[in-house]
Amino acid sequence: MRLLLALAPLVSAAACAPGAADDPSRVEVGIVFDIGGKDDRSFNAAAWAGVKCAETGFLPDGRTSCGRPPLGIVLRDVEPGTPTSIEPAMRAFAERHYDLIIGVGFAQGPIMEVVARDYPDVRFAIIDGVIFEDDGKTPKKNVASLVFNEHEGSYLVGVIAAKTSRTQTLGFVGGMDIPLIRRFAKGYEEGARSVNPDIRVIENYVGVTDAAWNNPGKGKELSMAQIGRGADVIFAAAGNSGLGAFDAVEQAGTENGRARRFVIGVDSNQNGVKPGFVLTSMIKRVDTAVYDIVKKVVDGGFTGGFHVFGLEGDGVGYVVDEYNRDLVSPEAIAAAEEARTKIVAGEITVTDAMAQ
Amino acid sequence: MSEIFTLALVFSTIRLATPLVWAAIGGLYSERSGVINVALEGLMLAGAFTAAAVTFYAGSWFIGLIAAVMAGALTAAVLAVACIRFGANEVVAGTAINILFLGLPAVLSGALFLSSGSTPQIPQENLIPAFADVSVLSVLALAVTLATWYVLYRTPFGLRLRAVGENPEAADAAGVRVQRIRYAGVIISGILAAVGGAYLSVGQSSLFTRNMAAGRGFIALAALIFGKWRPVPTMLACLLFGFADAVTIQMQGVAKLPSGEDVPVQFVQMIPYVVTIVVLAGFIGQSRAPGALGVPYVKER
Repeated sequence: MRLLLALAPLVSAAACAPGAADDPSRVEVGIVFDIGGKDDRSFNAAAWAGVKCAETGFLPDGRTSCGRPPLGIVLRDVEPGTPTSIEPAMRAFAERHYDLIIGVGFAQGPIMEVVARDYPDVRFAIIDGVIFEDDGKTPKKNVASLVFNEHEGSYLVGVIAAKTSRTQTLGFVGGMDIPLIRRFAKGYEEGARSVNPDIRVIENYVGVTDAAWNNPGKGKELSMAQIGRGADVIFAAAGNSGLGAFDAVEQAGTENGRARRFVIGVDSNQNGVKPGFVLTSMIKRVDTAVYDIVKKVVDGGFTGGFHVFGLEGDGVGYVVDEYNRDLVSPEAIAAAEEARTKIVAGEITVTDAMAQ
Repeated sequence: MSEIFTLALVFSTIRLATPLVWAAIGGLYSERSGVINVALEGLMLAGAFTAAAVTFYAGSWFIGLIAAVMAGALTAAVLAVACIRFGANEVVAGTAINILFLGLPAVLSGALFLSSGSTPQIPQENLIPAFADVSVLSVLALAVTLATWYVLYRTPFGLRLRAVGENPEAADAAGVRVQRIRYAGVIISGILAAVGGAYLSVGQSSLFTRNMAAGRGFIALAALIFGKWRPVPTMLACLLFGFADAVTIQMQGVAKLPSGEDVPVQFVQMIPYVVTIVVLAGFIGQSRAPGALGVPYVKER
């Protein structure tokens, strides 16, 4: 029994970073992931791809070049098993004076706010969160807040979904019910309505706690219920739970060689997860954003405050590649491109559910 | 309302209840023998991870399922040795197993798949087959429940299991080998809970993700108590919890307030928990645990 109890902390410790890097001449970067973990094939995976690229010049598989030069950094990562282990991990990096500490996900915002106040000389970056000084207005100067205009990218996939749907019924499966995910939902719905004002959008959430990111079984059930109501394109913004939606559309099968139901991936390019069933992916270039902020630290050009990534500069967007080229009609792509131009030009304003 | 109460709801209930039934019936064997089993969650995770990993390599769900059963039995055996041989506190030992399986799959998947807690996706054709959206394991869950009823009430082993859980001294005096029966009870619980876990990873989903049991082991435990440690009522309790879950899924985004707005998601998702509390607190009446539950048996010399 004692052995068992002794093992438990060992196992969780094994996932943590080993001792600090010794080489003071190299830039040390620490990254703390969200509960989903770095192989959620989605949001965290994109952040991991960004730092891995900065470290090695390769994608996490270690074989494919990421198309950018390695930056010679020392990289340490932590995957917290529970929300309570985020803060100690972040403090451990700060205590060792890492050159940059990256927090992945909105949930780390309040934690980083406290830690960044305690270590004003350490540079931080947070993805999907914004951190202010104590006055609540000025952005904190040792924290770079990397935020994405998800509503704009979601609008474009909403257009594609509405152009593709034969039933004119769409599904949306969100992970945890939080304002950030509502932002995806709202943009998606507006995009779809711009094509057909009467289109039906069924909006579901896996849960209201962080376990909602890791429940593919429930994600699948929600998707199956949506399919039962006629939804034929489902946008899954739910981390690992979203993979359940992929299973659900695959199970719905094919007709004359074409899938009967489609799923839209999120954050990373998920077109290859179930080829033939993934209509497109709403990507957030978390990888690029992370790489760039690391590069700024290496080059000495780090600045705190807000870094916003939108349609302009391809911070968000949709993917057409060899997996889905035959699934999306040229007409749908033309409509999405037109919408992109109008949003960038300011002719269309997509509602930002987080700003409400 | 007509859009909520459909045949799809029935199938959804069955699919969601299936892992609960396997785990709860497993827990029944352990608890009826007098050993508290809070490790159902960990045992499910052990089964889920092993099933996914082995199915991925072997390309056959059947081999994956066999491996999951072995992993469940092995994990339960560790628990059994701790509790029965060494008289460890059963709740603490079970919790240790649960914590262990939050971390162990992450370490193993790191070694096997260079990932941190999830397996690669398994092709649809290698998953546990389902007919009309109802898995083979769902049908077997019903069979196992009925078989458990038969074993418990109609076989010598069942009589001994119950006797050992109620009054080990008397059973011992009658010549029953208390510790051996308890080992059997705990190991059977590991096997059945692991099948429930395998259903999660290679039946319902197509991969293992970290902590994918998401509290189902504890819901199964609640169902066992609600079912008063009897097989058929326990299965019905699991179906009730599955039903509550299925209703939340069918209701989300469909149910409207009188004002025409959607019922808030948070409210809908509260339903399973409210059902659990109401049922456990109010409706089950007297639920008497096996007499010797949680009491290690030390044979007097």
